[in-house]
Amino acid sequence: MNQRLSSISRDPAFWVILPLTLVILPHLPRLPLWMPILMLLLFAVRLGAISEPRLILHKFWLFVIAVLVSIGTIMHYGTIFGKAAGTALLICLLAIKLLESRSTRDYMLLIALSFFIIVTNFLFTQNIPTAVYMLCTVVVLVMSLITLHQGDAALDLRWRLQAAVKLVALSIPLMLVMFVLFPRISGPLWHMPDDAGSGRTGLGETMSPGDIAQLIQSNEVAFRVEFTDNKPSQDQLYWRALVLWYFDGRTWEQGKQNENPRPTLEGHGQPVDYTITLEPHEKNWLFALDMPEQAPPGVHYNNNFLLRSREPINTLYRYSLKSFLNYRIEYQLSRWEKSAGLKIPPDSNPRSVQLGQQWRTQFNHDEAIVNHALQQFNQQDYVYTLQPPPTPGAHPVDAFLFNTRRGFCEHYAGSFTLLMRAAGIPARVVLGYQGGMINPVNQVLSVRQSDAHAWAEVWLPERGWVRVDPTAAIAPQRVERNLDSALAADEIRPLYMQLDNSVLKHLRFYWDAVDNRWKQWVIGYGPKLQQQLMRALFNREIHYSELTFMLMAAVGFVALMIAWLSFKSRAPKETDPVQKLYLQFCDRLAKRGVARNISEGPVDFASRAAQLYPSQQHAIDLITKIYINSRYRSRTSTDQTEKMQSLIRNLNYSPDKS
Amino acid sequence: MTTQLPLLPGFMARGIERWAAQRLPKNTDKICLDRRRIYILPTRNGMIFSLVLLVILAGAINYQNSMGYLLTFLTLAIMLLAMIATHQNLNRLCITAVNAQSVFNGQAAKFSLTLSRVTQRDYINISFQCPEQTRVAAHLPATQNNTHIDLPVMTTQRGYCALPRIRVFTEFPLGLFHAWSWIELQGRCLVYPAPAEHPPEFDRRGQQSGKHASELSGEDEFAGIRTYQTGDSPKRMAWKSIARSGTWQTKTFHADSDEEIWLSWQQLSDTLGIEQRLSILCRWILDAHRHGSKYGMDIPGTRIEPGIGQLHQQQCLRALALFGFSR
Repeated sequence: MNQRLSSISRDPAFWVILPLTLVILPHLPRLPLWMPILMLLLFAVRLGAISEPRLILHKFWLFVIAVLVSIGTIMHYGTIFGKAAGTALLICLLAIKLLESRSTRDYMLLIALSFFIIVTNFLFTQNIPTAVYMLCTVVVLVMSLITLHQGDAALDLRWRLQAAVKLVALSIPLMLVMFVLFPRISGPLWHMPDDAGSGRTGLGETMSPGDIAQLIQSNEVAFRVEFTDNKPSQDQLYWRALVLWYFDGRTWEQGKQNENPRPTLEGHGQPVDYTITLEPHEKNWLFALDMPEQAPPGVHYNNNFLLRSREPINTLYRYSLKSFLNYRIEYQLSRWEKSAGLKIPPDSNPRSVQLGQQWRTQFNHDEAIVNHALQQFNQQDYVYTLQPPPTPGAHPVDAFLFNTRRGFCEHYAGSFTLLMRAAGIPARVVLGYQGGMINPVNQVLSVRQSDAHAWAEVWLPERGWVRVDPTAAIAPQRVERNLDSALAADEIRPLYMQLDNSVLKHLRFYWDAVDNRWKQWVIGYGPKLQQQLMRALFNREIHYSELTFMLMAAVGFVALMIAWLSFKSRAPKETDPVQKLYLQFCDRLAKRGVARNISEGPVDFASRAAQLYPSQQHAIDLITKIYINSRYRSRTSTDQTEKMQSLIRNLNYSPDKS
Repeated sequence: MTTQLPLLPGFMARGIERWAAQRLPKNTDKICLDRRRIYILPTRNGMIFSLVLLVILAGAINYQNSMGYLLTFLTLAIMLLAMIATHQNLNRLCITAVNAQSVFNGQAAKFSLTLSRVTQRDYINISFQCPEQTRVAAHLPATQNNTHIDLPVMTTQRGYCALPRIRVFTEFPLGLFHAWSWIELQGRCLVYPAPAEHPPEFDRRGQQSGKHASELSGEDEFAGIRTYQTGDSPKRMAWKSIARSGTWQTKTFHADSDEEIWLSWQQLSDTLGIEQRLSILCRWILDAHRHGSKYGMDIPGTRIEPGIGQLHQQQCLRALALFGFSR
């Protein structure tokens, strides 16, 4: 069995199956379940075929499998194009191609296509572990190429691994040079498939009960913030992204937007200066601290005080903003805002609506109603929890407010807004993130999906739109510190929170700092950063043609350096002292014009040298004699060696005039 | 694998070879390859890899995918270094040729090549090929100072067969580049005529004395003992003498001391061509030698007095091989 295994591991087919497996592995979790099973089967059959040739399938059957796989792909994805479906189909076809491959030519094609499969994975993830995994995969691919081209040399595994690692390691400096200098252009060359960025976690465009609690389970970074000066206090970090006006009784939506001009913003005090690095989320909204003074260039600032980019954000995006933490929005309420901000879906949540209407009659002041509502949340037995009981039925807000009384921020924000509307106060839901964690390593604030939050804005006469966060009334720790401290002790937390002991937390900070660097300098390296870098290096704008020239020159230079350093030929070391001395003797004579020909024996050479230096004939003959004795007779004694050495040292090379 | 260069149309490959041939050093029995005579081109697989890289690069540009760029450049760098490595897999490799042992026409002359080094590198999977001949691969790992290979060259005519121009090439380590060089080394092989398959009966007429070579048998007069030579019949082993001396020895006989065979040109009909006559004579010599008879040879221009033994046989065969050639 062991022997069989080792014979399999020597077969070239094994060295194609192995890298192919490594290349496909990161894709597996995204594929429909039948695909990994099929591939496992195909690979097993091909491995088996190494020792059992009967397992080789006829081309016809492979064609049938390929057609079936294509049909399966269409049934699962609805298409064979696009990022997800295209990649899945390509991987399957490659596995099928493997089954009929047996020549080096086929194997080489598979290995070339493996590189393509690697890159498709980068459409889904580009983090550091992916990069490290890529390096390892490339090493194995290089090993495969070496194995396929070693002929019958039977190089051992260690030799091949070392050679591959050396080749890849030497390639890295060249790669970096090309990465930095290759002229970057912005914008896509062709239209991307619509699903180019699907499958990312992040805020949705609507809010139903349970949505945010779901999102909290993810610990992914949504964006990172660097403050120029001090970070504002935690409870002021409201990152707005969406304003939801429309309510159908269960779900809040943005609905139709109006074209009204943006109300004027009156800022008080010093604005906060900060830069956001936004992870690609495939949506066109940008996050900003309440309330940004103005939009970054090329970004639209709409009448809900939201920032909108023209294109969906599908690469790392960096922008700088100034925000006023103390602000006042012009208090004229537009007619559109008034009607949309008071709209209540008919025949839904009657008890809540009734409660709101009752508050209207109870208090004569809008602010009093707001405060009363918050007091209710605070003083009655409402619980802030990640696992609220489901509230099915036609009246989810009623069910929450009067029965379950357990909810997450979306429950509180939604029901509060509805209550306000019922009480005649224009109100809307705002979606975004709240808080974030400062990394003590690099002082960068990272805002994660777990910081997702929903709150409300109400329009008060004399004050305009004012932010009200009902969650703060129930669980002030959520806003002042973080989610973890706001949850009850016996609450089941997401895994990442449970693991957060102090050592791990510390490591995570370091990792996060490294990850931030990676994101900004590697993933975010584009035309903007390239120009910035060139300006820092050369103090002026660098044109594309200059960049191309520099690229060529640098690659040439580095390649030559590497070639020189790594392949610098070392002559075999001469260990025999007599041989060494004799070569030294020949060298010295050569410098004086008597070079020994390749075909010339020591005796002939000696007589030729003696003709040129008759006075030294004795010494030359003696040297030659010691040398010849050492070559053809016995071991030379140390005496002889020393004698030879002194003879060579004392040779008089001055040409004889005689 | 053919002698055709990768990715080049035939006329270009021939052009390069002609040009390169002018630059080859002649009349030498040792060549060390250096960068002046190593040529390199991408292989078909190298082109496929480049194509895949181009597609990946286009994707990386379109999606502004940094890791896509990284992979493209990493692979490109690997290809660049693989090119250097392939070149280095030939660079400073020294090849020495030794004359091949004589063969009969139609057999493969086996030229022995010795590979040695002036570096401490591994030389892996280096192919040697003469035009229209089979390829021989060799490896010279760093742990070895030299290695030998036998390069077969099919012979098609008698006389001296010179070691043809050899193409040395390698695609190691990654198979993406094809590095090659041509070498011309001094080395020759004496090709005897092919022994005739069905020689005519040995004709006694015109012989001063003698018997048909094939009739010579062990009942002839004992002539002495000599050391064993390959090809001697086991029937003629001098067992007693072997037991005494411990070395292999063979009994020799002559038919009557004056009974010598003369293998001569005149015995063969004029209707036979020169090559056919030489083939038949070759067969007769082999037979006579096998039977241990004393034979002489007489062909126009050369007369070899009767004798026996390996050296005598070689002398005769050599005369046949070089018949008609001025030396």
